[in-house]
Amino acid sequence: MSAGPAMVVSASRRRIDPDPSFTRAFAELAPRLPGSDRQEIAALRARSLARFTELGIPTQRDEAWKFTPVGRIVNRPHAADVPAEPPLERILPHLLGGPKARRLVFVNGRLVPQWSHVGGLPEGAAIESLTRALERRTEAVAARLARDDGRSFTALNAALAASGAWIELAPGVVLSDPVQLLFVTVPGASAPMSHPRVVLRLGSGAALTLLESHVGLEPGPALTNLVLEGELGEGASLAHDRLLLQADEAALIGKVELVLGARARYDQTTVALGGSLLRSESEVSIEGEGVECRLAGLAVPRAGEHVDTLVRVHHRAPASHSDQLFKSVVEERGHHAFAGKIFVHRGAQRTNAYQKNDNLLLAEDGEVDSKPELEIYADDVKCSHGATCGELDPSALFYLRARGIDATTARGLLIWAFASELLDRLGDRTARAAARRALAARLPTGALVDEHEDAA
Amino acid sequence: MLEIRDLHVAVEGRPILKGLSLRILPGEVHAIMGPNGSGKSTLAHVLAGREGYEVTSGSVTFGDEDLLALEPEERARAGLFLAMQYPVEIPGVANMYFLRQALNAVRKARGQDEIPAAEFMRRIREQARLLGIGEELLKRDLNTGFSGGEKKRNEILQMAMLEPRLAILDETDSGLDIDALKTVADGVNRLRSPERAFLVITHYQRLLDYIVPDIVHVMADGRIQRSGGPELARELEERGYEAVLGGRLAA
Repeated sequence: MSAGPAMVVSASRRRIDPDPSFTRAFAELAPRLPGSDRQEIAALRARSLARFTELGIPTQRDEAWKFTPVGRIVNRPHAADVPAEPPLERILPHLLGGPKARRLVFVNGRLVPQWSHVGGLPEGAAIESLTRALERRTEAVAARLARDDGRSFTALNAALAASGAWIELAPGVVLSDPVQLLFVTVPGASAPMSHPRVVLRLGSGAALTLLESHVGLEPGPALTNLVLEGELGEGASLAHDRLLLQADEAALIGKVELVLGARARYDQTTVALGGSLLRSESEVSIEGEGVECRLAGLAVPRAGEHVDTLVRVHHRAPASHSDQLFKSVVEERGHHAFAGKIFVHRGAQRTNAYQKNDNLLLAEDGEVDSKPELEIYADDVKCSHGATCGELDPSALFYLRARGIDATTARGLLIWAFASELLDRLGDRTARAAARRALAARLPTGALVDEHEDAA
Repeated sequence: MLEIRDLHVAVEGRPILKGLSLRILPGEVHAIMGPNGSGKSTLAHVLAGREGYEVTSGSVTFGDEDLLALEPEERARAGLFLAMQYPVEIPGVANMYFLRQALNAVRKARGQDEIPAAEFMRRIREQARLLGIGEELLKRDLNTGFSGGEKKRNEILQMAMLEPRLAILDETDSGLDIDALKTVADGVNRLRSPERAFLVITHYQRLLDYIVPDIVHVMADGRIQRSGGPELARELEERGYEAVLGGRLAA
């Protein structure tokens, strides 16, 4: 605190005036931000920054930010253009989706063209970096950036977004190979920040596997402020694997907001395995019948790490199905906060909506906060929610030990068993393997876990 | 092989075993019968090292070791096996992977190398075939979604693979139909050898028609009240615990 400017807390104490470094970074970057040669984009960005300053950084008095120590981590000087050139061998382990995957790679918010390729797309498919999209479809991107959801980090993202992508599939276009968006963070002399904006538009019957990776290569303060939004048309299908693998001291604040049309299928699996502060918000709006929406997540915070999972599923149409399964394994000084809400709006009859949050609390100084909620305005629905928090099952531990397996290995096996259910939900095989490696590195019995994989 | 001397055990301060003594020699099959609440399962759990039982006095020697000083995994590695009454379902841990881990832990303690993968597969398939356990069950997660009978067979499969010196069967017959009972008993009988001993804990006599014991003990009120040959089991079946034990059966 002593090095930085004093924190100013507004009278309501529900927001903190943002660190001036955001404004400074904007002033410095504005002329170079993509689309800045267009007057309407430049103006839109300036308005967004003003909106961010007006909204401020939420405090823990704000219900939606109750458990997120966001001011402590975010409200410090960050720079939006920290150059870094990591060697390819550090990147290779994070290239997912197999040899035919298309991908965009960003380092500290800057596209790396030599590692990115999106060629050979079928007719009706577009995968463009945000920069390119702002050139080719200025108005459509502007309309997205202009949307105000009353959330300061969305406004900050609109002001500073330089990375990210526009992904659009025309009706009926099915991409059989995955698309990866890889966001790499490498801290330098100053703490880097990046504000990726991703827009997804899947026409009716279109299908995509999206691999979204956030990777920190070195420990150090850094901020990623992501907004991913879009629509799935009728019968469209999106498998969305998310790997949040930030380095120590780094923060990621992300919001996913999707609208699902009739008979759309959306499968999201978020794996949070690294970073001082990970906040993952998902807001899904089901606007047609026959939708299948599955949201899942695993968090394994330890050693001062904080993971916040916020999920809101809106059923606005009848006869759709949503299912949430979120788990955490909390080790010493780790903190996981889960808040999930299912809204069944008026008229959304025959909704099936489930939510489950299971937590393994393995240390006395770890913390789990769970807040599952239902809000139902229809009478013919099947909904349930539940949360558990506990230690490893003593009878399972005894069973394994009574067969000769030592206590440490037995614990490792049970933790792995608890967590791996979530990894199995990742749609892409390479994403699953990467998540297994990251999880194994966090468990005391990591090597054993690799054997397990071989045996499987 | 196993020598229990005047064992007293309490659970949450309440005495359950009240001076139990028992001596088992290699090659012997002992049966312990007793009414519900007599302390049979407590004895099995204490021998295997389960937490939550307080040994207030007495001793248990296994081979030349103080059994009660060992951790559960050390007891297993020393050659003690407990076939559990309620095998735990452990989703996420593959049955075969678990068994290979367990076998290698036990082999390591015996100074043997890890079992080669091919030999492990050959042995487990052979044992599974003998016990009527399908390949599909082997590939599933440990006990997960198994029927009661499948769980009990899986316990015997583990016993056959781990080749213990002393196997304790805790109500292995409970919940088995007659065919499954025969399969399980055959599995146990195949393992009978001059070096290996069994302690069969059961409520009913019918298991002992198939696993014929050398010595039958009747347990009540935390102690062995009577011992005899296999005919004692039949006497119990015919006359009931009350009549056999007379006034010694606690309320």
